[in-house]
Amino acid sequence: MVDRYLKVVTPEDNVATALRDVAAGETVDVGVGDESRTVEIVDDVEFGHKVAIEDIDEGDTVYKYGLSIGYASRPIEAGEWVHVHNVDSNYGRGDLAGSAADRDPAEAIHE
Amino acid sequence: MTEFHGYERPDGSIGIRNHVVVVSTAPYANDTVERAADIVENAIPITHPLGRCQTKPDVFQTYRTLLGYATHPNVYGAVVVAHAGEIVDGDELAADVAETGRPSASVNIHAEGGVMNALKATVNEAQRMVQDASALRRRPYDASNLTFGINCATSDTTSGLCQHHATAGAAWRLIDEGGRAVFAETPEFFGGEEGLAERAATEEVAEKILDRVEYWDQRLQATGYDVRGAQPTPDNMDGGLTTIEEKSLGALVKSGDGPIRDLVDYAEKIPDESGMYIMDTPGHGAESVTGIGAGGAHFMVISTGQGHTLSNAVMPTIKITGNPGSAARVPEETDVDVSEALVGDESLDWATDQLWDEVVAVANGRLTLSEALGESQFAIHRIGPST
Repeated sequence: MVDRYLKVVTPEDNVATALRDVAAGETVDVGVGDESRTVEIVDDVEFGHKVAIEDIDEGDTVYKYGLSIGYASRPIEAGEWVHVHNVDSNYGRGDLAGSAADRDPAEAIHE
Repeated sequence: MTEFHGYERPDGSIGIRNHVVVVSTAPYANDTVERAADIVENAIPITHPLGRCQTKPDVFQTYRTLLGYATHPNVYGAVVVAHAGEIVDGDELAADVAETGRPSASVNIHAEGGVMNALKATVNEAQRMVQDASALRRRPYDASNLTFGINCATSDTTSGLCQHHATAGAAWRLIDEGGRAVFAETPEFFGGEEGLAERAATEEVAEKILDRVEYWDQRLQATGYDVRGAQPTPDNMDGGLTTIEEKSLGALVKSGDGPIRDLVDYAEKIPDESGMYIMDTPGHGAESVTGIGAGGAHFMVISTGQGHTLSNAVMPTIKITGNPGSAARVPEETDVDVSEALVGDESLDWATDQLWDEVVAVANGRLTLSEALGESQFAIHRIGPST
């Protein structure tokens, strides 16, 4: 029986959103498209937070809504809580941007 | 066709409220504005820290925002209060208000010979305006006159799964009836910009969308820091949102999937043609809501995850959530609770109906919860430095 409180938006997604508090050690059946997938929950996952429904290698894309929501900053196994501790963004990364002084943020306004 | 009872303005727009605003042009007029609005029943103060020692792009943006409020469809008339000679000029603003046919007055603290004289002049002008406004009556108008503002607030993972569907459903219902809708918060397109650009009505609009997203990403990268913490915010992350991309993909659900008619600048007036518009604003709610109000949205649906006080004095804000915990935690901020469509047995169409009914009621004069609490914020987005 598919758990309606674990929401996978599209079949391409590798995470589910928990619509109830999920406990480590639970075995859940997650609906992925028309199919059902069994996942052993590794971490406690609070309402609204995400859980991996398959293993995700470090550097691989995390998919929700069928699109990238970032990349795994370390390996994530199926059933793990997925959040800021193991996923990083591809946008607004001033920390990775190199010489910020080369950019003129006002330029586009004065175009 | 849906009808509502509203107030007709001399410029042909139809308001759903009948406010008199007292507008400050610079920080040094804020106290006079606040004091006058304290004295005069039903006068709304508009104050801010800008309007002086700004470079041109900010001057234009500040002026456009203040004019947008002083000539908003929900506004009967405006008293403009200036401190002295400012780059955002009080007399010019009052004259632009008068051009729309609205009652308008200009008070200058220096010209009046100080704050006490200016306060008396401001009170007397606002007092007459409020009295005249009170004689106006609501009459029936077609819903096609309305512009539907859309914003999210303290989003969480429920936002894109539930309440944003209801918000999009209600907005497109109004567009189908000939009205307009507008959403904003460009940094919250990150990761979804290609799909959004594909919805653009023309190639030119598609380019505008992609250019603005690129501009915001560069502007944020130029800080030299990871944007996380600013986007998503700590309360977003508490609610389970991990990256700005995840927040964006959820946030975009609130605009539905129909065509994007055009993208307008911050605080720019929303065009008359029916359709869905984007306003280029930051994701900072107080700033995006202030911009959308200046653009002339009659009301705004604030589609929230964790619950929010976000509101506006001129443009009523209807707050909807699908998070059952938030609805229980901040009931005084929750106008519409559609959580039964997320964790219960109700459908997203049901959720849309709940919201639409509230929208029509608010257009007809029903106060929102934040109006009843007297809550509002006003924050003009600034572009460059003070000088």
